[in-house]
Amino acid sequence: MLSCRGLRKDYVTERGEVAAVAGIDLEIAAGRYAAIIGRSGSGKSSLMAMIGGLSRPSQGQVTVDGIDIWGLSENALAAFRNKRIGYVFQFASLLPTLRLVDNVALPAMLGGGARSSVTYARAATLLGQMGLGDHLDAYPSEVSAGEQRRAVIARALINEPALILADEPTSDLDEQTEIEIMDELMAVNRERGTTLILVTHNLALAEQAEQIVHIAHGTIVP
Amino acid sequence: MRLLASLALQNLGRRKARSLLLIIAVAVASGVVFTGATLMRSIDSSMAVGFTRLGADMMVVPEGALTNITAALLTVEPTDLVLDQDLFARAGIASVSRAAPQKIARVEHSGIGSHHDSVDLIGFDPALDFTVRPWLVERINRDMRPGDVILGAGRDAALGSELLIFGKPHTVYGRLGRTGVGTHERGVFMSFATLEALAGSVHGPNGPPAVLQKGKVSGFLVELAPGAAPLQARFAILSTLKGVKVVTGDSTMSGIRQGLAALLNGILALMVLMFASTALMVSVLFSAIVTERRGELGLLKAIGARRGQIVGMMVIEAVIATGAGGVLGVALGVLVMRLYERSLVYYLENIGVPFVWLDGPRIVIVAAAAIVMASIIGALGSLYPAWRASRRDPYDLVRGEG
Ligand SMILES: Nc1ncnc2c1ncn2[C@@H]1O[C@H](COP(=O)(O)OP(=O)(O)OP(=O)(O)O)[C@@H](O)[C@H]1O
Ligand SMILES: [Mg+2]
Repeated sequence: MLSCRGLRKDYVTERGEVAAVAGIDLEIAAGRYAAIIGRSGSGKSSLMAMIGGLSRPSQGQVTVDGIDIWGLSENALAAFRNKRIGYVFQFASLLPTLRLVDNVALPAMLGGGARSSVTYARAATLLGQMGLGDHLDAYPSEVSAGEQRRAVIARALINEPALILADEPTSDLDEQTEIEIMDELMAVNRERGTTLILVTHNLALAEQAEQIVHIAHGTIVP
Repeated sequence: MRLLASLALQNLGRRKARSLLLIIAVAVASGVVFTGATLMRSIDSSMAVGFTRLGADMMVVPEGALTNITAALLTVEPTDLVLDQDLFARAGIASVSRAAPQKIARVEHSGIGSHHDSVDLIGFDPALDFTVRPWLVERINRDMRPGDVILGAGRDAALGSELLIFGKPHTVYGRLGRTGVGTHERGVFMSFATLEALAGSVHGPNGPPAVLQKGKVSGFLVELAPGAAPLQARFAILSTLKGVKVVTGDSTMSGIRQGLAALLNGILALMVLMFASTALMVSVLFSAIVTERRGELGLLKAIGARRGQIVGMMVIEAVIATGAGGVLGVALGVLVMRLYERSLVYYLENIGVPFVWLDGPRIVIVAAAAIVMASIIGALGSLYPAWRASRRDPYDLVRGEG
């Protein structure tokens, strides 16, 4: 379902070009749980951003379900991000002016189509599943970092994406919370059949994956 | 759309002090523009009304008479000197199409108004008049009869009610609209016969004023024949009639008009500058706001917001703020004009500008225009920074680069 061909990302800096991703070919089958590992600065986040439609590759193709996503028009790409991808960032990524339930409903509201009462009911259900049923009306600043991350996962799920991209979603959380959140993600992968690509430094987590992609200096190490 | 609007509103609420400052700055600018435009348009239309509705191209008065330039075009001033009523009829000057005689007597203790007020009693000839009756806004539904009077807009009395002048009963036949000219505003108008009948009651230093005699008038308001050149008409009158002076509306008013035009142009330039600098300020502010919110915009993009939605949200935010500023500015402008209305009108009339406020619907149009302009400033000021940010990859925005 996901395939990358000759993917490159070069950043232009004052000290010349930096090749963050230097030619990656990659296949990940639908419904898989894949882990991307590698040292800091090896290009994992850059790769994830290109896969998720967040950062335009300098070269190469990303194909999701047969669609060359970087060949899409601006609006079609936005719709792709909206409908097909659930992105879990490493850092706090909720809008501070919105309640948790609004944050979770936001992608569905942006996409349009669904009635907002339906969307909000769904958002509440998802938050409930993430153990945040009592915090629907809370603002992000009123809940803990772990709870915020769970809300982000709920948000990632609201449009029932085919692909969840999680870039070190737990690196700033304590061990127990990390385990709980990873359990949620893996449950989504198992129970909903959603493809999960996880960037992690935690080798124990990576070892549970069906596919491990090891990256060093922007290329895949066999 | 509603979602974007509510996001925009919430964003405004986050930095209340900053939003408030923005609103106030825009309010000041649009208040100045609204007030300036309203005054300009009022002055403009006052002058237009002065020229069209009062209709006199020039005025012929006794040679020694004092003329008040302010009202020269519009009304004859009270004077002791008189002319013969049939002056023009006898002369038959080709370039004059109409000459409406007027008698004006400024009297005291007439019983009209408070005791010490002097009142201008103005006699006109209904057959020749073209400067009084065009201003009638209401009247009794019958022809004017002896004993009827018409009141200027500045006087209050019910139509058909009785008005005692020097103890003699008169009937209020009609009322004039606001003209902005003092004599018209406060005057009491009547036919020559009605005015002459009062001669016995008026006591000047040397008996009743000469103008109250039958056949004598204070001056004539002259309408030129179509196509007649003012300068030639003036020479024709001066060479035919003796002992008169001609006051040309154009020459007296054109000076004022030119001065005023320069002033208005200055105000206009100032308004344009004000709007431009406000637009610049909004633009700079929104560049900063966009930079500050880069991460959030990137996030919105990452979860599928389209470029149009990102730009829309920022523009709505700006338009709400500047639109509110516009509304506030108009409100302040109305307040200021209310507060200073009296002194303003007085001042303008003193410098020779007969003043009539723009009518309600037009003020509403000017107000709406000011608010729309303020909103447009917000839209334009925020459009470019928002559009630039929306072009970037979400990942770059989220990482906080550029
Ligand atoms: N916007 C940028 N401009 C310039 N260089 C960049 C930019 N983003 C990333 N880089 C560089 O590209 C390389 C790869 O960065 P990337 O963030 O993809 O690494 P990573 O594997 O995710 O690291 P980490 O584990 O620390 O998150 C790094 O050397 C980084 O300095
Ligand atoms: Mg990274």
